[in-house]
Amino acid sequence: MEIKTLDILPEKMVIPLKQHHGAVCEPLVKKGERVLIGQKIGDSREYFASAVHSSVCGEVIAVENFPHPGGNKVLSVVIKPEESDECVDLKPFKDLSSEELADMIKDSGIVEHHGAPTHTVLRPVGKQIDTVLINSTSSEWIGGKYKTPEEYAYQMIDALKLLMETAGASKGAIVLRTDDKDSIEAFEGIEVDNRKLLVAPLIGGRKIDYYFKEQESDIVVVSQKRIYGKNILNFFTYNVTGKRVGPGCNPTDVGVAVCGVKSAKALYDAAHEGKPYLDTVISLEGFSKDMDHIKVKIGTLFKDIIEGYGYSGEIGKIITNGVRTGVAQYTDQVPVTKGTTRITLQKPEEVMKEEFIDCIHCARCVDVCPVEVLPSRLAIMADMGKFDECRKLHIENCIECGDCSAVCPSKIHILQLIRYAKNSIGLAYGGISLGSSEKSNGSSTSGGE
Amino acid sequence: MTYIISAPPHKKTSTYFRTLNLSKIIALIPICLVAIYFFGVPAVQIILASVLAAVLTELAIQKAFKHKVTIKDGHAVLVGLMLALLIPPEAPVWIPVFGGFFAIAFGKFVFGGVGSYIFSPVLVSWIFMRSAWSNHMTPLSIPNVGQLSDFMLENGAGLLIDVSPIALIGGLYLIYRKYIDWRIPLAFFATMILIPQTLLFLAGVFDLIQHGVLNPLMYLSQLFAFLSISPELPYAMVGILFFGIIFLATDTPTTPVTKTGRLIYGVLCGVLVFIYGYFGNYVDGTLYGIFLASCAASFIEMNTRPAPYGKDSLPEKVYKRIMEKIPEPLRFEVIK
Repeated sequence: MEIKTLDILPEKMVIPLKQHHGAVCEPLVKKGERVLIGQKIGDSREYFASAVHSSVCGEVIAVENFPHPGGNKVLSVVIKPEESDECVDLKPFKDLSSEELADMIKDSGIVEHHGAPTHTVLRPVGKQIDTVLINSTSSEWIGGKYKTPEEYAYQMIDALKLLMETAGASKGAIVLRTDDKDSIEAFEGIEVDNRKLLVAPLIGGRKIDYYFKEQESDIVVVSQKRIYGKNILNFFTYNVTGKRVGPGCNPTDVGVAVCGVKSAKALYDAAHEGKPYLDTVISLEGFSKDMDHIKVKIGTLFKDIIEGYGYSGEIGKIITNGVRTGVAQYTDQVPVTKGTTRITLQKPEEVMKEEFIDCIHCARCVDVCPVEVLPSRLAIMADMGKFDECRKLHIENCIECGDCSAVCPSKIHILQLIRYAKNSIGLAYGGISLGSSEKSNGSSTSGGE
Repeated sequence: MTYIISAPPHKKTSTYFRTLNLSKIIALIPICLVAIYFFGVPAVQIILASVLAAVLTELAIQKAFKHKVTIKDGHAVLVGLMLALLIPPEAPVWIPVFGGFFAIAFGKFVFGGVGSYIFSPVLVSWIFMRSAWSNHMTPLSIPNVGQLSDFMLENGAGLLIDVSPIALIGGLYLIYRKYIDWRIPLAFFATMILIPQTLLFLAGVFDLIQHGVLNPLMYLSQLFAFLSISPELPYAMVGILFFGIIFLATDTPTTPVTKTGRLIYGVLCGVLVFIYGYFGNYVDGTLYGIFLASCAASFIEMNTRPAPYGKDSLPEKVYKRIMEKIPEPLRFEVIK
């Protein structure tokens, strides 16, 4: 897979001080100050927060509220970049203890793509983690940062070991997607602790515990079908480990930490080069016929990416993080954040404008639902405001994948109605976090594609 | 520059309610052609009268109540067409006209329109007319399959739909394309085959018991009954049953939405149709049977709601279900 690097010098870079769930960081720089690559520009003392670094070298021209791809405006540092690679001196971290590693993660600004700061996933307060999973089923392998597939595989294994050390976990696994041939080839037959590893498929009742035993190893690589959605971590954990995560809980409650490929790679870089989380690989859809992958600095505006890529057609919709669950942007003046995985452009004629009709009870949504709830019934109950009925129908299980809305022949906005009901239930019952509400306690399980 | 914003998902499949209806209408066109070939002008009259009456009724009602006019979605056409196929060709023209009107006005709109009715409008209208004007609605002959060519062209056809079971093959394509769910047709059809064969087997066993046979091998050999065709099957496997299986029983608002619910609903349809057909005939039996089964659809759905994936395993569920049945003082909880 080819990865391009966006080589432009934009007019300005916008780095939001909140690229994670939790508290907004306090700015450490003032207007007019000069910042270097890798310099920390925002930090917070809160546990549910993660530091923010400058990805370019330049002059701070403003610290103000700026549109965020999440939809709201967030306090951001606006930097006018200059053509220089001046960098704060980075030194690798060596032989750190578990707590120091966690601090280092927070300090380097490493967060999961769905928003939770990685250190809160690995070292949750009052919980013990025994298994660490790297989920590489939804994000493409970030090949732009590696020379060969083997290098990718070995770095991922090293990163997994680092993650396990941080969490104090004894077991770890990397979960690939069955149709992702590149990754499976990369991992097939690599050696860990002088033992050859084979990529093992998760079929039926064979969960990772089976493979831990069969391969006599504490680290295994497994593969499974693609699942996507906004709120998949509980379902993912159940699929991979067989551990049931109750409603209102998240995987850390059963001792499982789920990390993404990108945060694993960022941790590897931070530990071996001392480099904080500065750039990310995103997919571009709708720019040309094929899907493109591009490495950009955090804080680059969508406008600059679109122009830099050379796209000149008319744009009807700009969507971040995939067409199924992503957010449509009202402006192209939004920056790429640590949580951005994909930018999709739709031409004006591709944009759907359909009116919904009554539910015809065709049960297509029931057939496609990966977690076996009844989306059509939930949508009707949510529409009538009967939220307690929704809870009886296990609305908390919904992973917000959007499949039900996509197949609905009546074009009912099922996903939107379910989210509405979830938010209302969350408000009514206060503490119960059902995943989709932004103001949940930071260990929320909602995430991008 | 401004952009369009909306809630996700931003891309949907191109299947609409209209697509579903049109596909069903197209699947019914072959049988209409065979019926016209077989019965001649009266068949054309009935089909046209019924479809036109249904469409005009929908148009009139929606104009009168100032609703959005939805005749373009093809549902009224489909209802009118399906009803026409259930009317004998000798019936006077006002029968299908009234039938089309009654199906849309009372079968569909009285219950609240598309998606809200609990009985298929086609069946509502058919049963009303069958009871009100039984002299016009009774077919002249009841078909049965004497030889294989009867699947191609049924000479004993009394209703338009009975003329050719093979002409309904388009329905199988709809199931393959998932325009029609496969669970109800499969369960329905399997039940319709299995019950007569089981009865044949049981008849053989009872016969042996009456003769006082003690050899277990003789009883075992009765299992071969499942290989021979029950005398009941030629009466059951007629065009209207296949029409019922593929088009009537799968009318989505009248069926449960849960997966197991749909299987149970199919079995229930089969049982009811068989009882009706066994003691009466399979032409009326199919329609009355499916109509009765829709009564239970909601009950089936409430009792087959899927459990959450992350909560109880199967033994836990069984345990809980048993414990619920035991009265409070007798309960002793081992697992909490």
